[in-house]
Amino acid sequence: MSFNQAIETAPPAVPLTVRFGGWGTGLMLLAVWLLLIAATSLYRPDFFSHQTVLAVTFTMAVVGVLAIGQGIVAMSGGFIDLSQPANMILASLVAVRLSEAGMPLAVVIVGAILAGMLWGAFNAAIIVFGKLNPVIVTLATNFIGLAALFLVFQLAEVPIGSEIYHFGRASFLGLPAIFWPMLALVLVVGFLVPRTRYGRRMIAVGGNRAAAKARGISLKATRFATFMAAGGFVGFAAVLFAATAGPFNPGSANTLQLNIIAGVILAGISLAGGRGNFWMLLLSVGFLSTIPTSLVFFGLSSDTQSIFQGFILVIAVAIDGWRARRATP
Amino acid sequence: MLRNTTTRTLAMMALSVPAILGLAGVAEAQDKFKLGMAVGGNTCCEWMKSQGDVARALAEKEGWDYVELSNNNDPATALKNAQIFVQEGVDAVIQFNGQPSSNPAISAVMKQAGVPIVTYDIADPGMYFVGIDNLAAGIAGGEGLGAIVKEKWACNPDLVISAEGAAAGIVNEWRTGGMRTGLKNVCPDIPAEKWVSFESQGDAAVGLPAARDLLAAHPDAKKIAVVGLNDGGVLALINAAEQLGRADEVIGWGQDGAFITGDNVNPHLAGSVFYFLEGYAVYAIKDVIKPIAEGKEVPLKADAGDPASKVQPCPVTAEQAKAVPDMAERVKQLLAAPAGTTEYELFCPNKG
Amino acid sequence: MTDVTAAPARRPGLSEDWRAALTGSVASITLTFIVVVAIGWFWVGPKFLSFGNISIIGTFVIVPLIVGAFAGFALLSGVVDLSIGSMVGFSSALFALLLSLGWDPASAGAVTLLACLCFGGINAIAIVGFGAEPIAATLGMLVALRGIAWVLLGSQGSIFAFNLDMFNLVSTTVGGLPLFFLLAIALTLVAALVVTKTRVGRHIRAVGGDDKAAARAGISVKKVRVAALLLSAFGAGLGGIVYAAQLGSAARATGFGLEFQVYAALMIGGYSILRGGVGNPIGGALGLLAVAGVSNILDLKAISPYFVNIIVGLLLLAAVLLDRIRGGDAYE
Repeated sequence: MSFNQAIETAPPAVPLTVRFGGWGTGLMLLAVWLLLIAATSLYRPDFFSHQTVLAVTFTMAVVGVLAIGQGIVAMSGGFIDLSQPANMILASLVAVRLSEAGMPLAVVIVGAILAGMLWGAFNAAIIVFGKLNPVIVTLATNFIGLAALFLVFQLAEVPIGSEIYHFGRASFLGLPAIFWPMLALVLVVGFLVPRTRYGRRMIAVGGNRAAAKARGISLKATRFATFMAAGGFVGFAAVLFAATAGPFNPGSANTLQLNIIAGVILAGISLAGGRGNFWMLLLSVGFLSTIPTSLVFFGLSSDTQSIFQGFILVIAVAIDGWRARRATP
Repeated sequence: MLRNTTTRTLAMMALSVPAILGLAGVAEAQDKFKLGMAVGGNTCCEWMKSQGDVARALAEKEGWDYVELSNNNDPATALKNAQIFVQEGVDAVIQFNGQPSSNPAISAVMKQAGVPIVTYDIADPGMYFVGIDNLAAGIAGGEGLGAIVKEKWACNPDLVISAEGAAAGIVNEWRTGGMRTGLKNVCPDIPAEKWVSFESQGDAAVGLPAARDLLAAHPDAKKIAVVGLNDGGVLALINAAEQLGRADEVIGWGQDGAFITGDNVNPHLAGSVFYFLEGYAVYAIKDVIKPIAEGKEVPLKADAGDPASKVQPCPVTAEQAKAVPDMAERVKQLLAAPAGTTEYELFCPNKG
Repeated sequence: MTDVTAAPARRPGLSEDWRAALTGSVASITLTFIVVVAIGWFWVGPKFLSFGNISIIGTFVIVPLIVGAFAGFALLSGVVDLSIGSMVGFSSALFALLLSLGWDPASAGAVTLLACLCFGGINAIAIVGFGAEPIAATLGMLVALRGIAWVLLGSQGSIFAFNLDMFNLVSTTVGGLPLFFLLAIALTLVAALVVTKTRVGRHIRAVGGDDKAAARAGISVKKVRVAALLLSAFGAGLGGIVYAAQLGSAARATGFGLEFQVYAALMIGGYSILRGGVGNPIGGALGLLAVAGVSNILDLKAISPYFVNIIVGLLLLAAVLLDRIRGGDAYE
C-alpha cells in the first residue's frame, strides 16, 4: 500500500487504542529484550556487568536522540528524514569548530542545535514551499549536503582535553554522562507530545492532514515546527557524537541511519504518521543496541549483527502489519 | 508549437548523431606526455585527496598533462575510470584502488589499450607495484609495540586487541597479521586466548560501538595492547576504553601515521608506522612514470616482494613523531624539495 | 493525471496520445536527457557522443539499468523495494563464492537467482501476506542481506572470481556498443511494452494507482504485488551477477548504497517511490542515463565527483517539483 493511501484511509486517531497499542508494543519489546539478556547471560554469566551496561548505554545515547528526531518527523506525517546523516555531520562540524575556538560547552551545544534547526528549516522550506514529499526532499538534501560537506572538510575532531571531550568520557551515577540527556529528552518529549497543544497538533496533522486542516491547524507552520524541532534533536545528537567519536569524516554517520529508522519502527511509531509513543524508543533503541553487544559475547562476528537486526525488523513490521489488518475489518 | 519544437529538436538530434560520431574519430593532436591519476575517493582518509594533489604538482613540474579522477571507493567506478583514461589518451596511469577487487578487470582494460598502470600498496599481477610492503610495515609496528609491552608489562598483557578493517581485504590481513607477528617476535609467549579482534571498519567513529562491545566482553582485562590496520581503527578502541573508564593501561600502536602528528595526539597511541602515503607519487614518477615518459623500457614489477618502487616503512614512537610535521606541512616541504626526494628521506626520524 | 502511462480504459485518439507524450513525465525526462546531451556536446566536444564514450557510460549503467527496469515494476505496483542495493551485493557475493568453489557459471547463476527469489519471497510474505509497510520491511531486508553478503565474503571482505570468458562476454561489443548495454536497453523497451501495452501492465498500474479500485475491478492485488516484488529481487540478482562478471569479483562495497542512487535516478525519470501507478521504464532508463551522462561530463572535465551528488539532488528536487506542478500529488 502506498503511504498516501494509508493516510487517506487511516481512521482518525482514537487516543485509547493508541495508548493501548503502544503499551502492547512495549510489553513485547521488553519481553524480547529480556529474553536476549537472559539468553546471553546463560551463555556467558559475565554479560551481567557494569561494563556491558556502559557499552550499551553509550551506543543508546546518540541513537536515542537521533531516534527522537526521526520519531517526530514520522509522527507528524513526514514519513522519514533521510537527511539525518548530513545534518548530524554538519552540526558535529559546527561543534568541533566552536570547541576548537575554545568556546564553553554551553555555546558548543547551542551552536550545534542551531545548526541542526537551520538544516531542518532548510528541509521544511523545500517541503512546504515546493509542496514536495519529505522522503524525496530529504533523500535529495542528504545527497547535496554530504557532497557539499566532502568539499568542505575531510576530517574533524574535538580537541583532546576540551570541555566537550571530557563530557564524552564522564560518567554520572554509574552511567555515561551523555546517556542522561538522552533519557531525559525521551521522557520529556514522550510526556509532552500527547499533552501539549503543539504535540497534539503534530499528531493530528500526522494522523489525518485533511481533518487537521479543517480544524484550522496550519499545516505549514506545523511542518516547519516539526522539521526544525527534529533538526534540533539531530544537532544535539551531534554534540554527543562529536564528544565521543574521536576523529570523524563526512561519511561517519551513514551507518547509523538504518538503525535509527529501525528503532523508530520497532517502537511502534508509525511511518504513516499520527501513531506512536516516544517512551517506547527507550525499549527499541535499548534492544537494538544490546544485540551487537550480545553477539560479541556469543563470539559471533560483528557482521552477523546486521542479519539479526534486519530480520528482527522484517518480523516486527510483519507482526505490526498483521495486527493493523486484524484491527481494521 | 511545443510539439513542433520538440519534434524538430528530436529530428535534429537524430540526424546529427552520425555526424558527431564521424568527428569524434579525429583524435586531438597530442604531443605532451599525459598522466592519469585515480585517487581512492574513500572518505575515511585525508591522504587520499593529498595523493592526487602531490601527483598533480609533480606532473606539472615535469611539464606533463595531468588528468585526475576519483574511484569513489567503488569497484565499478574504478573500472569506469580506467576506461576513461584510455579514452582520454593518457600515456600512463597511477591509481590507488581501495577496492582492489576490481583490479583484474582494470588490468585487462589497461593491457588491451597498452597503457602502463602503477598501483599503490595493493598488488596486481598486471600493474607496477609502488608502495609499502604491508606485511613488513606490520611487523615493524608490532615489534615497536612489543618493545613497550616487554618493558612495561614484561611481555604479559591481559589482552591483545586487533582493530580489523575487512573491507581493505588482503592489506588488512597483512598489516594486522604482521603486527601480531612483530609482537610475537618480541614477546613469543603471549597465550593464544589473549588475542582477540573487532571490526573497526578502519574508522575511529564508525568502529567505536564495536570496540566498546569487545571491551565489555573482556571485563577483567586491564593491560591491553592494541594493534590495527590503521591509526583510526586503533583510536576507536582507545576512545572506547576511555569511555568505559579503562584507558589507564591501554597501549596502542597504529599504522599509516594519520593520527600521530599535530597537537591532538591521543596519549594512549604509543606509536605508528609512517608510510607518508600522500607523497607516493615521488616514487611512482621517479621509478616508473618518468622513465616511461623518456621512452625507456621499464620492466613490469608487480609483486609487493619485488616492487617497481619500494616505499620504506618508518615506525615511530609517539615521542619521535613529535619531530614530524603534520601532513599539510609535509606536502609543502616535499614539493619544495629537489625532484626525487622522498618524504622518508625528509621526515623519518629513525631511518633504519 | 496527464501521464501517458496511465492509459485510460478507452482508446485515446492519436492527438491525445501526443499531448500526453509531450506533457507527461517521459517528456520532461526526455527534455532533461536532451539538455544533458547538449551540455556534454557543447562543453566536452564531439567525443562526448563518440561510440567509445557512449560505451563507457553504457558499461557503467548496465547494472543500474537492469536493476531499475525490474525494480520499476515494484514501484508501479505501489510497493517500494529498498533491499535492491543489498540484494545486488548479496547476489554478486554468492555468485563469486560459487565460482570460486569451482561451479560453472550457469549453475552458479541459477542458484544465485533462486536464492535472490527466496529473499524476494520473504519480502512478499511480509508485505503482501502480513501487510507490513513496504519501506520498513524492505529496509529490514536491506540490513539483513548486507550482513549475509559480508559473512559470505569472509574476513578478506572480497572474493576474486575473475573469469576471462565471462569478462569477455560482458565486454563484447556489437556495432561499437557494449552488447549488455544494448540488451539492457532492449530489456527496458520490453518492460515498457509490458507496462503500457499489455493487460498485465494495466493491472500492475491499476494496483499501484488505487488498490481498492483494482480489487473491485477483479484484479488480484496480492498476486500482482507478489509478482512485482519477486521481479524486483530477480532484477537485483541479475544485476549482481553482471557486476561479478564485469568486475571479476565481489566486495563489500558492491551494491552498497545502490538503492538510493537507482531510486533517485528513477524518480528523476518519472517514477515515484511513494505512489504506485506512475512512471514508465523508458523514463526510468532515461533518468539513469541522464545521471550517468552528468557524471561522465564531470569526469571528462576532471571535476570533483562529489558534484555529481549535488546535481543528482537538485535534479531530483526539480523532477518532483515538475511532477507536482504537472498535477502530481501535492504534499501539504
